[in-house]
Amino acid sequence: MADLEQQLTALGAELDWPATPDLATRLPTYLPARRGGGGGERRWGRAFGTTAGHRWALVAAALVIALAALLAYAPARDAIANWVNVHVLFQRVNEMPTPSPQPPGPLGERLGLGAQTRLAGAQKQLAWQIAVPTSLGQPDEVYLQLPPDGPSQGEVTLVYSTRPGIPVSGQTGVAVLVTEARGAVDQDFFGKMLGPGTTLESVTVAGHEGYWIAGSPNAFFFIDANGDVRNETMRLATNTLILDDGGTVVRIEGNLTKAQALQIAASLA
Amino acid sequence: MEGRPEDDSELFARAQRGDTGAYEEIVRRYQQVAFRTAYMITGSAAEAEDAAQDGFMKVYRALDRFRAGSPPRPWLLRIVANEARNRVRSTQRRLGLELRLAEGFRPGDAAPSPEAASVVAEDRDRLLQLVNALGDEDRLVITSRYFLELSGEETAAALGIPEGTVKSRLSRALARLRTRLEEVPRG
Repeated sequence: MADLEQQLTALGAELDWPATPDLATRLPTYLPARRGGGGGERRWGRAFGTTAGHRWALVAAALVIALAALLAYAPARDAIANWVNVHVLFQRVNEMPTPSPQPPGPLGERLGLGAQTRLAGAQKQLAWQIAVPTSLGQPDEVYLQLPPDGPSQGEVTLVYSTRPGIPVSGQTGVAVLVTEARGAVDQDFFGKMLGPGTTLESVTVAGHEGYWIAGSPNAFFFIDANGDVRNETMRLATNTLILDDGGTVVRIEGNLTKAQALQIAASLA
Repeated sequence: MEGRPEDDSELFARAQRGDTGAYEEIVRRYQQVAFRTAYMITGSAAEAEDAAQDGFMKVYRALDRFRAGSPPRPWLLRIVANEARNRVRSTQRRLGLELRLAEGFRPGDAAPSPEAASVVAEDRDRLLQLVNALGDEDRLVITSRYFLELSGEETAAALGIPEGTVKSRLSRALARLRTRLEEVPRG
């Protein structure tokens, strides 16, 4: 018998693989122009046509709708509830994934919030302005998540351990979490996964578009430019108000009523 | 550029400058290995197609991050394989790929005698059956290294594991396969 490795290599040449689709000639016409793209060179859209009815067409349609969001994403077969101008893809799933058990220890580690810091310290490391909800006062703890574990422009979490009238959440162990993230919009995108028992309602807060997510726990995740789902950011969340504050995705999470969440959001400064 | 294929670094440099013709060539060059890698992971041609095309979109968006001079295949395969794994995860399916032999394949230049061809085919069938019967980890590492002919670095990228783990996992998978070849009698 010939060497096993040689046999396996020879066997590989005899396998019946499905025909490789010609992806090169089916590239979508709606890919966003990349930063730094040189002028005068051939661009998609003029170079290629699309196949009517093909999934690429669905992708293209979604991208046209999402131009304002400046994000490119191919939804393919996943059930997409909506694509909104808050740099977040809402994904409706029949069954929620089971997040990894939270390790014991400090809040930041349990919830994967990053390194504990102070508000001023976090602000120094971010190129964008952190918004603090004045109705909740100063946060009790502040965490900062930077790349590669966080989005490309960082993510800050303000922790409010207890606040009058707001019960402590069984999911997080604190009253309110306010998480703010800003990614390079052509590099990262954020996602919110909603199970069957979760409701999604459009809201507007001081002119900012947002969504109120209530009911069963939901999960937030982000996918970096390499296509990696950052699993460490996936955890179950309770009721959440999510809004776009001038390009910063703000999530206000807790056992809140919608009115309480809107009041907190309106006080962001 | 007539007369010789453009090398990867030139193509990626052009694509980074916004030349979509160069990116088209990159996709054409790598679509087969990307699709087959995704197929190995998803076990579904349709899912593999989606994963590969989504992966190529992400590669396009992330071209700025590609470091000139570094090999593109591991990077590209990692992105596509991640897409494929995400799809398997989201559908909560178990890996179910069963590789098959192409019909009517005749290896080598010279046609073997009917008797010799029968023996060779029998060996091939048996070996493939044993590979298909391996556990997911063993089958994936063998498929990557021998059937897709990925390098150690590319296999690590495709399977999302360190390169050192590829070596140890491959060594164990081959040992198990050898044992089963000895245990399972021919025909």
